Amino acid sequence: MDLSVIVPLYNEEECVTLLYQSIVKSVDTMGMDYEILFVDDGSKDKTVPIASELASHDTRLRVIKFRRNYGQTPAMAAGIDHARGKILVTMDGDLQNDPDDIPKLVNKIDEGFDIVVGWRFNRQDKLLTRKIPSRIANWLIGKITGVPIKDNGCSLKAYRADVIKHIPLYSEMHRFIPAMTSLAGTKIAEVKVKHHARMYGESKYGLSRTYKVLVDLITIKTILTAFSKPLFIFSIVAGISAVIGFSALVAALMTDVDSPTIVFYSIGVLYSSLAVVLLLWGVLGELIYQTGDLKLEHFARIKTNTQSKSR
Amino acid sequence: MNTTATNDITLSVIIPITERFDPISELYYKYKSSIKATGLSYEFIYTLDGEQPEALKELIELQNNEKLTIITLAKEFGEATALSAAFSKANGDNFLTLPAYQQIENEEIPNLVAALKDNDMVLGHRWPRRDSFLNRLQTKLFNFLLRLSTDLKIQDAGCSVRIFTRRVAEEIHLYGDLHRFFPVMVHRQGFRVIEIKVKQSKNDIHPRIYAPGVYIRRLLDLLTIFFLVKFTKKPLRFFGLVGTTVLGIGVISSLYLIIARLFMETTLADRPALFLSSLLIVLGVQIIAIGLIGEIIIFTHAKDLKEYKIDKIIN
Repeated sequence: MDLSVIVPLYNEEECVTLLYQSIVKSVDTMGMDYEILFVDDGSKDKTVPIASELASHDTRLRVIKFRRNYGQTPAMAAGIDHARGKILVTMDGDLQNDPDDIPKLVNKIDEGFDIVVGWRFNRQDKLLTRKIPSRIANWLIGKITGVPIKDNGCSLKAYRADVIKHIPLYSEMHRFIPAMTSLAGTKIAEVKVKHHARMYGESKYGLSRTYKVLVDLITIKTILTAFSKPLFIFSIVAGISAVIGFSALVAALMTDVDSPTIVFYSIGVLYSSLAVVLLLWGVLGELIYQTGDLKLEHFARIKTNTQSKSR
Repeated sequence: MNTTATNDITLSVIIPITERFDPISELYYKYKSSIKATGLSYEFIYTLDGEQPEALKELIELQNNEKLTIITLAKEFGEATALSAAFSKANGDNFLTLPAYQQIENEEIPNLVAALKDNDMVLGHRWPRRDSFLNRLQTKLFNFLLRLSTDLKIQDAGCSVRIFTRRVAEEIHLYGDLHRFFPVMVHRQGFRVIEIKVKQSKNDIHPRIYAPGVYIRRLLDLLTIFFLVKFTKKPLRFFGLVGTTVLGIGVISSLYLIIARLFMETTLADRPALFLSSLLIVLGVQIIAIGLIGEIIIFTHAKDLKEYKIDKIIN
């Protein structure tokens, strides 16, 4: 199978049929073997019955139903886990993304890019509550990761399946997929995509919580730096702690016997013990990394793949 | 859904017997009449948590006239273990747990059964309360703390009247004292849990005052659940925030002390404040380290630790 189109849905009963029709219309023109994955994120309305009805007439449409509402990232992750295509396209279920843009994104992947990100250059949302927070977030993400992507929040993205299937997705991470993989050297392209104003219903997911994004970002940066070499990271901190501890002990020994040196002694012992404990944490971290599924090679492999293709 | 049932029992009624129980046969007939009113086929299972000769004698007498299953645990393992022993013996499609003393009015049971139609688990919420102010205060406080530390917003976790599908019982591993948090664990596995209001029985009004040890155990249980829920989701965010705060306070006060030593001629070595701020730094670093290790576990094992549960896949 060449292509999987993944769409998370949450209470989108008005949109489902139209969404399905417009995806089929635009993907049919590409002449690819494809599937559409609707991931229902615990909708309480008629989304699932409508989608099941559509699926009963078309085997290319698959519907994954969650037990309850989990959020957009788990919905995307489920779609990615169950997709069978070589190229995966994700998009919003509220018709704000235009399926007509799918061929553009897929063509870019064929040119040798690993990830193609949509850029909603004329975004149809409220300025103050949506656009400005998202500007700030994008600027911050760009600064911290060093990958200036203009629009991280756009759901319309295309991925090479063997790249994205290895990346762990939890919490709110779907916003940072490009940034995460770029640290490993993936080739990312940005494509201008159309963006429509909401036709039905209310916005369910917002990028208004800039604080949360910032905390997520720091976490991801930390984990990406540390996950493959915990012993090294912990050793550095342990080293600093050992130096402080050692100098406190030396200071205690050199101080006049009359003055109360007990504080220096205790501090010396305290920092030295921290150094030992941190080394042990580092060893534990190394053990966890060795037994885990996700290895640094998974990111490295992405890199070599890309380079050989781009040459 | 019904995988192991051999006969056509739709409802397994499970009654665990721990320290506290009302006269058994009297309650049995009360329960039986209200379950008959639902029109479902049913079976009764009694589990005794540890050897309880008195209760066992009564049950055996009852067994002469009525069809019921009795399970006895070899020693006291706690109510949750007693429940999971019963789950493994039960044949029904749906399970109803009832306390061995009357918590709710019997005529409410059919309402609970009916509410299971669109949900995976239905909990009783005793309302309006008839018991003493002290009882209500305890319940309020416990449930408030529970709501604070988990995602499931329920009003009455102490009510043992719960009905749920076989699938729920098969998927949740219950042990020890965790039966109070059964709904929380069910919710975490992605099942739909709702609570409906039921009338409290007038027999459920005796004042409950426990030994201090019991309260401490409850608090520790709450703490366990809190960390289970918060830690397993995003350890580095949670511990990172706490750790950075502690570390920050430590660093700032250390710097202050060093500056004071250099420019204000106050001595450093004889000040316990230095000791305190070093302690804070050490603690902060440790907390962050724990968070980082937790996050590494989740990050490198994310493929096993799926955040979502799928109900079904079409096509």
